[in-house]
Amino acid sequence: MMKSIRASGAAALLALSTLGPAHAQETLKIGQIEAQTGPLATYGWINHQGAALAVDEINRAGGFEVAGKKYNLQLVAPDNRGNPQEALIQLKQLLERDRVKFVFGPFLSNVFNGVEPYASQNNGKFLLMGGATSMHAAAGQAGKDYVVRTWNWDGGEGGFGSAMVAYLKQQGAKKVAMLMQNDAAGKVLVDTYTQIFKQHGIELQVEMFEPGTKDFTAVLAKLAQGKPDYLFPGYVDAVLHDIVRQATETQLFTRFFLVRGSLAPGLKNKDQIQDYIVYTPKYFEEAEKTEAKTKAFVTAYKNFYKRDFPYDVAPLCSSACYDHVYMLVDAMKRAGTVDDVAKVKAALTSTPYKGVWNIGYTGSEAVFGFDVVHMKKGGAIKVTSVDPLKR
Amino acid sequence: MSQVIVGQLLNGVIVGTLYGIIALGVTLTFAITGIVNFALGAFMMLGAYGTWYLAAEHGLPYPLAVLVATLGTAVLGLVADRALFRYTRNDLINGLLVSIGLIAVLDNVVLMIFTATPQALDPPLTGSIGFLGVFLPKMKVVVCLLLILTVAGTWLALQRTWMGRAAFSYAQSAEGAKLMGVRTELLQSGVFVYSTALAGLGGGFYASLYSIDPTIGNLYVLKAVEAAILAGIGSIPGALAGGIILGAMESIGALYFPLSFRDAYGLVLLVLILLLRPSGLFAAQR
Repeated sequence: MMKSIRASGAAALLALSTLGPAHAQETLKIGQIEAQTGPLATYGWINHQGAALAVDEINRAGGFEVAGKKYNLQLVAPDNRGNPQEALIQLKQLLERDRVKFVFGPFLSNVFNGVEPYASQNNGKFLLMGGATSMHAAAGQAGKDYVVRTWNWDGGEGGFGSAMVAYLKQQGAKKVAMLMQNDAAGKVLVDTYTQIFKQHGIELQVEMFEPGTKDFTAVLAKLAQGKPDYLFPGYVDAVLHDIVRQATETQLFTRFFLVRGSLAPGLKNKDQIQDYIVYTPKYFEEAEKTEAKTKAFVTAYKNFYKRDFPYDVAPLCSSACYDHVYMLVDAMKRAGTVDDVAKVKAALTSTPYKGVWNIGYTGSEAVFGFDVVHMKKGGAIKVTSVDPLKR
Repeated sequence: MSQVIVGQLLNGVIVGTLYGIIALGVTLTFAITGIVNFALGAFMMLGAYGTWYLAAEHGLPYPLAVLVATLGTAVLGLVADRALFRYTRNDLINGLLVSIGLIAVLDNVVLMIFTATPQALDPPLTGSIGFLGVFLPKMKVVVCLLLILTVAGTWLALQRTWMGRAAFSYAQSAEGAKLMGVRTELLQSGVFVYSTALAGLGGGFYASLYSIDPTIGNLYVLKAVEAAILAGIGSIPGALAGGIILGAMESIGALYFPLSFRDAYGLVLLVLILLLRPSGLFAAQR
């Protein structure tokens, strides 16, 4: 009798010990504050798609282990539609209700500016990993330890903007007309590129327009009077589609230069343009032929979302998106903690990551290679790859 | 320089006809039902989304998509009239409140279904017409001509048909029209529904020129009310002319002043005109 009780007890202990790890697997919530819909949603939409795909892959692979404890991920990603007030409420909910310590986004400067005071009050309690242009000024500053800017910066010696303008100079550009939204990101871009064009000896004329403007014909005609070689328009596809169409239809501009936005507006008007030069963090059409990780990402995306791969906007996933979820998990593993944000940040920014992109950090700001995609009339494309880390 | 001015004048005329078609709806509705229907902007947005949805998502030929979307908007206009606006006849404040409420409902329904992400139709007609160094997109020219024809057709119908004469008589004297056997309730509903159909048609044409989002109607209806007041409420050709003046003023203004203040140029003109002619430019031609 005693023998059978002992045997039953041992069996029960064995069963409990085998069940143990499954019960011990915890769900770690990570957040994302992006505009998934709305006129400014191009970046936020693809960043959410990429992050959700990475979370699914990690969970399907059985999660990850940190300091002997297993975790799977849950992505809490409300859509703020580019509205700073909505984003602020969502960030408060993420930090105070969901107890999230790692938040991806935002890509939009107006959203970052809207959440920045609250985020600063919670400095040291979480990380905000986003590509917003206005995050550049906060990255590395005292009291802004929570800022991890996940996108290449335009200015400075290694800035991608300098490389883009240098390429434009090679094309013989002497004068450029800049047409930007009259908002936070638009103003930062005007300030930044005024300096970069000046450094490269290219004359610049600038016009701003109110968000929501649909008819650009008058301002395009005004800019065309100065006979610039290229038009440098807007920073989101929603606006770029209208501008490129109207500029080419009226034959006021047929040459375009972009450092934000995608190839899509150019492709849609490929028979009307002469040149469409765009900063592309990765030209997937070429890269998937030669890079195994890129090909795997394209395949995984198609299988997960059951739709065609969005080649036009996928390059924007270079920000806080697919790779950064893996980078965060890798950093937590190396830091041996899922709570100590300072240790995780140190691990995240100290070691380059080789994923779909090769991402390194200088301070709190990401640096990665990119392509200058130059589309000619009819859609013929020339790709020039640039690696800022090697320059 | 003169080429640029001529080009922008013509562009302003074209953009102005879009303001004009909504202004026509505003002026007709006000003259016959006594309310300013700000929801016409939302009906315009519905026409634009209907056209985009049928043409881009279901492959309907663009002209057929515009026709179906316009009819669909008219049906929704009829529902809105029967359910809401028939209770606000000749009550400016209540009509205004109901129309503002309806804007919120319609905008948010479209937002829920199609999200706030802008949608764009492939241009049904590509290329441009060039003369004297000025290039005008063919689609814009066609839209402009069709809208002018629509306004002219409306004006002719009001002049030449019994219904039109009934509308004029009602606008002059509601009691007199009733005594003469005009079915005033039917007339008011008919004009309301026709106005929403005009807005839907304007939206259908708008979708062929610009990207669309759920808020496009809000600015357009303000421009349309501006145009109708500028012309003098009640004037049919005046509504079109008011829209064109406004469009031209904005286009030319944006050439010489910052584009950021484009919407203000028309308002400045409106204030000036109302100071000189408080009843509007074309009020005497009613």
